[in-house]
Amino acid sequence: MRIPSLFVAVCLVAATPGFGLAAGFNPEMTKYVQGLETQAKKQESSFKGFDAARGKKLFFDAQPNAKSGPLSCATCHTSDLKKSGKTLVGKVIPPLAPSANKSRLTNVKETEKWLLRNFKQVYGREGTAREKGDVLMFINAQ
Amino acid sequence: MNSLSKMPISALFAVIFSSVVTAHGGGSELMGGATNSAYLKECGACHLAYQPQFLPKRSWEKVMNTLDSHFGDSAALDDALKSEILGYLVKNSADASSSKISRKMLASLGTAETPLKISDTPYFKRKHREVRADVFKRKSIGSPANCTACHLSADKGDYDEHKVKIPRK
Repeated sequence: MRIPSLFVAVCLVAATPGFGLAAGFNPEMTKYVQGLETQAKKQESSFKGFDAARGKKLFFDAQPNAKSGPLSCATCHTSDLKKSGKTLVGKVIPPLAPSANKSRLTNVKETEKWLLRNFKQVYGREGTAREKGDVLMFINAQ
Repeated sequence: MNSLSKMPISALFAVIFSSVVTAHGGGSELMGGATNSAYLKECGACHLAYQPQFLPKRSWEKVMNTLDSHFGDSAALDDALKSEILGYLVKNSADASSSKISRKMLASLGTAETPLKISDTPYFKRKHREVRADVFKRKSIGSPANCTACHLSADKGDYDEHKVKIPRK
């Protein structure tokens, strides 16, 4: 019996871990988020999937910073992600919310670069796979 | 020739004028904006893409080799981007430029000095001696790194002091 290839493809996608979680991402970003998910599962046995609410907390939690004073993602990106923000040296940052800025979260290289830089900036360390996924879920829902 | 004859006289004058200015090696107000697209994108995302003409080659090399802690912030870049941007900065650094600003900048620096900030150079300090420290701290300015706050067309290389507008807050 010949199984239609489309049927096989659908089954494969459905069986992929975290299918559905990366809704709204393009294929490149979906693959990236699924990779983060695989990593998160390895790192935390209790991991049950990314959570936008945890991402929101990471985004808004201000951390002590000797140079700038308490610093969170929202310090520069503001508390409304649909609006433009401003860097610490005064340069305008176009909105982070994909609903207000279509180019956001469409390019893996850009996304990885800014997650790395900004986690280091705010938290003084790289984000874990779970943290990155959580924050992406939060941003993507804006 | 045909296209020249169709040009309005004013445009023709503009062409002649700009070529005369260029022939003089570029005045301090006509340095132009930074042009390299990787530099504009990667460095210009956070701050003004400062004209490379403001610092000597040795400064740009030091800046680009310490990006992991860039004035306390992480500005890490992959190696390919880093070498492209450094190449551009070096090629257009103060040492390689004939602009008035570059010459004055270099003259103000000792050869052993490798400033990482334009605002640390004696030339910058002299030019801004009338600006009080608290003015730089105003909310819409923040620090001397924010050229555009007062030099509205700094991104185009226009630092003409007659066009300076200092925000009140």
